[in-house]
Amino acid sequence: MNFILRRLSFYFTAFLIAISFNFLLPRLMPGDPIEAMFAAAQGKMDIAQMDAVREMYGFMGGSFFDQYISYMHSVFTFDLGPSVLMYPIDVTTVVGMSLPWTIFLALGSLIVALIIGVSIGTYASYRREGFFGQFVPPFLAFLSNFPYIVTALILFYVFGLKYDLLPLAYTYDPSLDPGFSFEFIGSVLKHAILPMGSMILVGIATWVFNMRNAMINVLGEDYVTMAEAKGLSSFRVMYRYAGRNAILPVATAIAMAIGFAFAGSIMTEIVFNYQGLGNILLKGIMARDYPLIQAILLILVSAVLTANFVADLLYVWLDPRISK
Amino acid sequence: MKSPLLEINNLCVDYVSPNGIARAVNNVSLTIAPGETLGIAGESGCGKSTLAFAITRLHKAPGVIPEGEIFYNDRDILKMSDKELRNFRWNDVSIVFQSAMNSLNPVITIGEQITDVILAHKKVTYKEAVAKGKELLEIVGIHGDRLSSFSHQLSGGMRQRVVIAIALALEPKLIIMDEPTTALDVVVEREILNELYDLKEKFGFSILFISHDLSLMGEIADRIGVMYAGNLIEIGDAKTVFNNPSHPYTKGLLASFPTIHGPKERLHGIPGDPVNLLKLPVGCNFQARCSECVAICKKMVPALDELRPGYKAACHKL
Amino acid sequence: MNNSNIASKNISTPRHESEFRKKCRAVWFKTKAFFDGNPPAIVGGFLMTVILLGALFAPVLATHNPDKRVARPHVAPNSEYILGTTRNGRDVYSQVLQGARKTLSVAIFAGIIATVIAVSVGVTSGYFGGKIDEWMNFATNVFLVFPQLPLLIVLAAFLGQVSSVVIAVLLGVTSWPWGARVIRSQTLAIRNKEFIISAEVMGESKIRIIMVEILPNLISIVFGGFLGTVIYAMGAEAALGFLGLGDATEVSWGSMLYWAQTSSSLYTGAWWEMLVPAIALALTGGALALINMSIDQISNPKLRTGPHMKIWKKMHKEADRSRGLL
Repeated sequence: MNFILRRLSFYFTAFLIAISFNFLLPRLMPGDPIEAMFAAAQGKMDIAQMDAVREMYGFMGGSFFDQYISYMHSVFTFDLGPSVLMYPIDVTTVVGMSLPWTIFLALGSLIVALIIGVSIGTYASYRREGFFGQFVPPFLAFLSNFPYIVTALILFYVFGLKYDLLPLAYTYDPSLDPGFSFEFIGSVLKHAILPMGSMILVGIATWVFNMRNAMINVLGEDYVTMAEAKGLSSFRVMYRYAGRNAILPVATAIAMAIGFAFAGSIMTEIVFNYQGLGNILLKGIMARDYPLIQAILLILVSAVLTANFVADLLYVWLDPRISK
Repeated sequence: MKSPLLEINNLCVDYVSPNGIARAVNNVSLTIAPGETLGIAGESGCGKSTLAFAITRLHKAPGVIPEGEIFYNDRDILKMSDKELRNFRWNDVSIVFQSAMNSLNPVITIGEQITDVILAHKKVTYKEAVAKGKELLEIVGIHGDRLSSFSHQLSGGMRQRVVIAIALALEPKLIIMDEPTTALDVVVEREILNELYDLKEKFGFSILFISHDLSLMGEIADRIGVMYAGNLIEIGDAKTVFNNPSHPYTKGLLASFPTIHGPKERLHGIPGDPVNLLKLPVGCNFQARCSECVAICKKMVPALDELRPGYKAACHKL
Repeated sequence: MNNSNIASKNISTPRHESEFRKKCRAVWFKTKAFFDGNPPAIVGGFLMTVILLGALFAPVLATHNPDKRVARPHVAPNSEYILGTTRNGRDVYSQVLQGARKTLSVAIFAGIIATVIAVSVGVTSGYFGGKIDEWMNFATNVFLVFPQLPLLIVLAAFLGQVSSVVIAVLLGVTSWPWGARVIRSQTLAIRNKEFIISAEVMGESKIRIIMVEILPNLISIVFGGFLGTVIYAMGAEAALGFLGLGDATEVSWGSMLYWAQTSSSLYTGAWWEMLVPAIALALTGGALALINMSIDQISNPKLRTGPHMKIWKKMHKEADRSRGLL
């Protein structure tokens, strides 16, 4: 319990830091950011809206501290301002539409990469001296260290353009209506294959190596030798004795991987024109839509922090030495 | 004479390292009779644990057994198939490892670690296995409810008892104990040893007791064997080995232990450093540290000769 | 095994070798040992050498001026323009060589900055412990938990067009936490070892202890962390370049991707404009990863590789065969 409380307070502090960073950012730019935004909006915004933005940001005069509190208030009441790009839709709505897709892409590919990678890693540690153990890990290390966009671009070209096997844009066929129909879900899955596949390719090696190295360390432990001496089946020794212990350092690595997964999903979305946060972020950057950009950053940070917290809970569940 | 329970003939165990091949066990032969306690003593690295591990073929790369036979009731363990080996393990020979903290899986309950070996070898229901588990814990003096505890929730002495309970689970004929009390304080050590006496009385198993503590062995063993640098250099009944050793190394070993009784004497150790297994000398391995070394010791390896019936030593001076 | 002479072999070398030659030979042997029986090292090392040489000798190896328009747009690869031309009529081959210099120097520079910070923070935190450790650890964790690439993108967006030096600094300053954490835990492990405590008791100055006793033991993970950061920085530079952040007028692999993207080269069939820098990035990242992996392999004895394993396999097989188990 102590552990969980400490983690929660840590995440909350991190979140506050993120908000503060967001607060400072427009103030670091030369000139008045609100004016700049207004100019970029090219007449789509009226004065009333500009004032609303000013208020949201806390540029209302009063001391620095007052402005800070005012901004905090906006954030915690989900008032993230109007979007310049999608005016008059406000930022919260825009983000709300695209966030689920990013979560789907980032966490979905993380989970798949985790399951496949851990299995390969376990087998590679078992067959350390054989072909599998000697060849597969370096091969995967090579493949996975292509930068995210590179893998995405290559897959995009080979499977999408050259051989026209899989769809290249959007999260589902735009002509369909969202719902729980087979057709819709099928379309979602079909559109997810390339972007997710690209992310899984990049992510897999981390898990292969993490699990393989963890297994190798664990396989040298006395309790594994004793399990073998007991005449237990090798399946049981591998999974219940070795694997069950090796998974702990892997679980610790999940937390870090979450941040990378979200980062990677942004780039992948851009390449595949997938309608998640990354795509919107790009459009926002092009249009200099600062409220949108900052909001996306905040949401991303929150998503990562939440996912990290869930990963912590997972670790507590896995390691009986922690939960007291 | 009853046929031996375990018969080891000319066993050799090698370790392949980047710097060469080290022979950890060199041509060792010995027997263990049913119900007998055989102690193997020697300093760290002399090969006693390696010998013990070889009995149930626990060695992994880079260890290899190039020569030798190990007969358990007339079956050569080294020739068993994987399936036969798995049946043999724990059923006939079980092991109590040195550090109970490290030999218990930290993330599953100790109950599971007792029941899984029962279920792997016997056709019983889960409930029956749990019941047997409780029984085993009670035999070693731990409350049956502790089946659902994790190893980190138990004290050092309790953990060692759990490991002994697991070793007894299938009522094997031979239990190998590799320094079972080294990690415990003397009080707990005494308790555990007393319990061991009682258990042995009750179940009648043989014990292969490995330790560097010769005085402990003098108490509980029927026969004692002494190893140095992979060779068995002396073996015989415990009283004689302990009170009247023949080999210079054994003499040196015994002289290194202080006694509580009698006048205070100055301790003699054994001069020199343990021999490097990768760079063994020609002739007797002990020559560099032996106070009675003569010319022939540097040329020929002394054989393990029978000095009296049931008593052997390997030294040119005998 | 029983027959070697105990007498040392080194006593009777009459030859008068200079210290320098001896050192050269030692280095040569160590390098050879590194590559021996280590295929990932060989492949990775070979690729990296090719790439580094290409970058180093770019002006000599290039066939045309990478910044100037030299031909018609989107010419397919042929004998004159080995890798084709871009939308703006520039030679892709010359560009990829030139771009190598920029991209690699940004990545390496960022790697150096990040590693220096990581070592400073990690060692200080691990060695001094206490309040210093608490605060530094907290800062490290906070940095670690933030998704770095989005942060970079937003920063770059706010700062507008910036030179590659700024990008390198930004990358270095945001990617140190990962290495710092590993270095800290390793320092903690070494710190409590006896040789450190005895050095302290003897009154050695703390700085000297850190430099002479602790740092040498950290070399392999520091180097591994450095390589990892370089791989990451390269990918991040490519991502930022692709998005048009950073300096799009300078030739780098990232900016090549940007121009390829804006000219829809993939759609118009001019795949070479996009895929050449992509493959260059892929090969470099992969090669560095292989080298990193093989360093790991060397420093971890549990991984059981090496020529002695072959001997073991043979002995094991023979023993099994003689017992009728095969």
